[in-house]
Amino acid sequence: MKSAPFTYVRPASVEEALHVLDEQAGAARILAGGQSLVPMLQMRLMQLDALVDINRLPGLDEVRAAGAETIFGPLVRYATIERLPLVAERLPLLQCVMRFVGDPQIRNRGTIGGSLAQADPTGEVPLSCLALDATIVAASVSGTREILIDDFLVSSYTTALEPGEMITEIRFPLAPHHFAFLERNRKHNDFAVVNVAVVGRRGSDGGWSDLRIALGGVSDRVVLAVESAALLEGTTLEEDAIAQAAQLALDVIDPPTDVRGTAEYRRHLVPVYVRRALSKLRDDHEPFDA
Amino acid sequence: MAEVVQTTRTSLREGRIGSSVSRKEDDRLLRGEGRFTDDVEPGHCLHMAVGRCPFPHARILSIDVSQAVALEGVEDVLVGSDVVSRSDPISVLRPVADAPDLGFYAMATDVAVFEGHPVVSVVAVSRHVAEDAIGLIDVDYEPLPHVFDVESAMDPRSPVLHPRVLKSNLLVKRLTGAGDPEARLAEADVVVEERFSINRVSPLPMETRAIVAEWQAGARELTVRHSTQVPHLVRKQLAESLRLEDGAVRVIATDVGGGFGLKLGIYPEDVLACLHAMRARRPVKWVEDRIEFFRASTHGRESVHSVRVGARSDGQITGMFDAYAVDSGGYNSPMGSPQLTSHMFTGPYRVNDAGTEHSVILTNKAPVGAYRGYGQPESCFVRELLIDRLACRLGRDRVELRAQNMLHSQDMPWQSTSGATYDSGDYEACLRMAAQAIGYEEHVKRGRGPGTDGRYTGVGLASFVERTGYASSKFLARRGSRFGAHESVTLRANRSGGVDVYNGVSTFGVGTETSFAQIVADVIGIDFDSVRVHLGDTGASPLNTGGFASRTLIASAGALRQAAEELRAKILRIGAFMLDSDPEDAVISRGVVCLRDDPNACLPLAEVYDRAIINQGMPPGEEPGLESGAQFEPEAAAYGYGTAAARVSVDPETGDFDVERFVMVHDCGTPVNPVLIDGQVLGGLAQGYGQAVMEELRYDEETGQLINGTMMDYFMPTAADLPEIELQHTFVKSPVTPFGVRGVGEVGTVPGCATIASAICDALADFGVEINRLPLSPESVWRALNQAKASREVRS
Amino acid sequence: MPERVEVTISVNGRKHRRQVEPRMHLADFLRHELGLTGTHIGCEQGVCGNCTVLVDGQAVKSCLMFAAQADGQRVTTVESLAEEELHPLQQAFKDAHALQCGYCTPGFLMAAAAIAAEGRRPSREELREELSGVICRCTGYENILIAVERYLEDRGEVEAVGG
Repeated sequence: MKSAPFTYVRPASVEEALHVLDEQAGAARILAGGQSLVPMLQMRLMQLDALVDINRLPGLDEVRAAGAETIFGPLVRYATIERLPLVAERLPLLQCVMRFVGDPQIRNRGTIGGSLAQADPTGEVPLSCLALDATIVAASVSGTREILIDDFLVSSYTTALEPGEMITEIRFPLAPHHFAFLERNRKHNDFAVVNVAVVGRRGSDGGWSDLRIALGGVSDRVVLAVESAALLEGTTLEEDAIAQAAQLALDVIDPPTDVRGTAEYRRHLVPVYVRRALSKLRDDHEPFDA
Repeated sequence: MAEVVQTTRTSLREGRIGSSVSRKEDDRLLRGEGRFTDDVEPGHCLHMAVGRCPFPHARILSIDVSQAVALEGVEDVLVGSDVVSRSDPISVLRPVADAPDLGFYAMATDVAVFEGHPVVSVVAVSRHVAEDAIGLIDVDYEPLPHVFDVESAMDPRSPVLHPRVLKSNLLVKRLTGAGDPEARLAEADVVVEERFSINRVSPLPMETRAIVAEWQAGARELTVRHSTQVPHLVRKQLAESLRLEDGAVRVIATDVGGGFGLKLGIYPEDVLACLHAMRARRPVKWVEDRIEFFRASTHGRESVHSVRVGARSDGQITGMFDAYAVDSGGYNSPMGSPQLTSHMFTGPYRVNDAGTEHSVILTNKAPVGAYRGYGQPESCFVRELLIDRLACRLGRDRVELRAQNMLHSQDMPWQSTSGATYDSGDYEACLRMAAQAIGYEEHVKRGRGPGTDGRYTGVGLASFVERTGYASSKFLARRGSRFGAHESVTLRANRSGGVDVYNGVSTFGVGTETSFAQIVADVIGIDFDSVRVHLGDTGASPLNTGGFASRTLIASAGALRQAAEELRAKILRIGAFMLDSDPEDAVISRGVVCLRDDPNACLPLAEVYDRAIINQGMPPGEEPGLESGAQFEPEAAAYGYGTAAARVSVDPETGDFDVERFVMVHDCGTPVNPVLIDGQVLGGLAQGYGQAVMEELRYDEETGQLINGTMMDYFMPTAADLPEIELQHTFVKSPVTPFGVRGVGEVGTVPGCATIASAICDALADFGVEINRLPLSPESVWRALNQAKASREVRS
Repeated sequence: MPERVEVTISVNGRKHRRQVEPRMHLADFLRHELGLTGTHIGCEQGVCGNCTVLVDGQAVKSCLMFAAQADGQRVTTVESLAEEELHPLQQAFKDAHALQCGYCTPGFLMAAAAIAAEGRRPSREELREELSGVICRCTGYENILIAVERYLEDRGEVEAVGG
């Protein structure tokens, strides 16, 4: 199980990295944490001419606050997100889900940019980025562009990134204060059968606004239950409304059948998990429960 | 009356039998200085990679190796025709009695019968280059219709895997039993009948298989480093397949990274590596990777059962029958499919009329081999769930119904309907202790719920008897097995005052070096630290059988005791002579021989040993040297037993369940090293837990390909997945083994599936949920709930 | 000839300079280039964690990192722990019978060493998660948890006394 040969490039700058990507025209990939890419190479499920190692590039592993926005470099590792007070304060959902990603060794290496580029339809990072309405900044030799997360995630392991592009920033707008996250796995921290992340803002009158409900494991990418959220806008999340919204979430899913569960079971779980996540959002502000 | 071992841990002498002395193996392993097969690399070593059939069943039309041969660094390529002309099929060590030989060559020639079946192999300067070369080989396959499971295998329209040997995919069918189970079932007041499916799983040792083969052409000598539980059997099998005399092959197994039955006997890749080494005249290493592992190492279990139990209305079980089919995969592997399901079918219960019909069926999947438990988890699962249902039908308490039917110590020895002779034990004591520990009565009083969280609570129990070690070679001969039942040992005193122990089993985690040293130290009366145990080298050990079937300690203990007693007697004779006294007056203690009545008259053991080794100043007539050897064949198997119990909570909305507590009460006979026993039982339970709730190798029905052949997709428990396990032991000596020991290597695997399934069924009993299929996932529980609700609606 | 890159990696305090193929992962580098065979390979898929080592003090799976990536970094392997005597962490494993076949053991030792280095003392339940990146097939984990817990406890006491 050894990787096929490839050329290893360690560029000195983002510009140089982009230049290599451009030259290789699709036969090169960015190597960030490598926790998904390296196994694929070693199983020879993927063969590349070149790997562009960006781990030494300065500045890409920082998180900073810019007004209401929080901006991540693509190389920010899961373990950093897990521990950084800035994240806990501004994006508690993102911090909370890290405990559900892989294991400590994986979290020491894996990066937010790598996870987004991987676009795992069960991934906690894409899921929470979708719930938090992130924007991806992608650069290529011809410049940079901003891609809304909803446009960025195309389908299973497929993103809107062009072959010559790399992620240079992930930007989060001001996040609603409250969140809830639930996940069902076949074994500890395995790829989710179903996961749900919800965020929202509770007004002083008890009414909820800015609700976003993101679902993982139930389509070819993580999806937003837009109608469900709209239905609950302004409500106090009373049981009936939640139940109705939970049922409505079925409209946005198209679950797969795989070794972790059948489409039928996932279809059954979605309303249950949406309902439970929303109840949790309403009833407590505890970050999560396992 | 059963003899109970009278010991407590604190009263035991350090390093002797019964002491939890820490292991001899540990220091090197903890320092990262173990010597696993891949840790050794001879100079100029080549590395092998194997090209494998990607289809479950395919005809090989052509193979073009030209590009691979031309690749820089490639030294040799083998295809099926080379292999058939240069080697003989791999021998079956433990055939299912009466089964024909399928001729399992190390490589497919015209037809491959499972995904992963080797079709070409390459050796090159590195594993990387060897894999590059495999990628350049063009194999033209004609995919053939495949056989997916035991049901479709028996369909007359299904393709036959081995048409040259068999007319159908049925390898063999055997009836066992005694009495007249059909008559008893026909006249029973109540008959419960069920169909159960057992999952196909992987034994999954953390070290995959590995071999390093070196051929010395001039001497015609093949030295093989091998990750195996049975070095001497590997030597025999390699010699047979490679057409060499036994003496030309030396097998060395140093540290082995787990076996669990998977590393019994040889595999195709072992023959291929040796053939390459012989052709290239350079050492060849092959280390299986995890992708290969899931497709080409033997799998465990997988069977379907139609089981019936009949009882009188007072609860007395009168008859039992299990007609079951084992999915053996594409070949009968060296240890074949599991063979103790029939043997242990009736478990701890007094049943005079019971039987099994055991079919072994071939399918286009990887061959099934031995896996820890070897059929016993299967019989425990089907029997114990059936007894739960019998209790339900009779309106009886599950514990009381079991107790009513259990054998008692005064019934022993008891011959079961399968011919097993249970040696001793107090089965009911374990049942009662387990029920007490799990809080069974409180649970019955409190009820199943639902609790305020909506979850239901259930308690499950499973009782079992387990064969440990196996009966004599006479028994094996009747079954056609091609190995013996004895263990052998050589003891040799050295001039430093120590004793070297040589034995042919390998070190694969069970603490053999430690327990052997404890026995030798105890019998001779020397320090544990002065005993050094050398294992796993066929060139340095007497011929033996190997480490499996929970037999290592049972069989070796007899040989160790005999050889140690002989050595002790000679030490005393020489020592007494040197002290001008009689052997009867001399004792061995704390590194010296001294006189019982005169502790000042003493000699260091090193001096006594030295005298014997140089043969100067020996008692008249005494032979030179200080060495003893012994063989021992156990006269019978010892039967371990126990009861496990679990408490679960279940979310009826999602099927999600949580094993809140797991209790195991087990009899280990005389404990040689209590801490090692706990370790074995805990480890086995973890494997049983994995099989119960997550592990399953799944093939796609349509493509016939393995769906989850990676570590990501094969779910194996981590530290965060397992419940805390509560262990209790009883200590009833076995009257049929040396020191009264019982084997403990496999017992943990036996009750896990049955116990957890029993608990979930209990939790959801109000819904009428019955679980008949493994593994138990939240989805399968949810489906069982739906099914139960649907059938209620139909009934009402 | 396949392309090679030069790397200088400090392993257990000693610098090693080698020419390696970019596709050689760090575990193979340690085992085959340096002969440090205490780091074991169990899957090369990043799941079993038997190959766990510390890179610049952090626990990582050495099969998921190419040797070229470790250029200029500090790698710590199981071979660094014991001197004449076993390291207290290793002794805790021995005392608790926390190993059987010993194949996964270096992975657990390094994962635990990383926790200790950060000065943390997780609860039993937290520890189950902290050690979930290494898979053991022999022990059922119970004794491993006990060993690590005892080591972290004793260590805490030593520090408290010393401080």
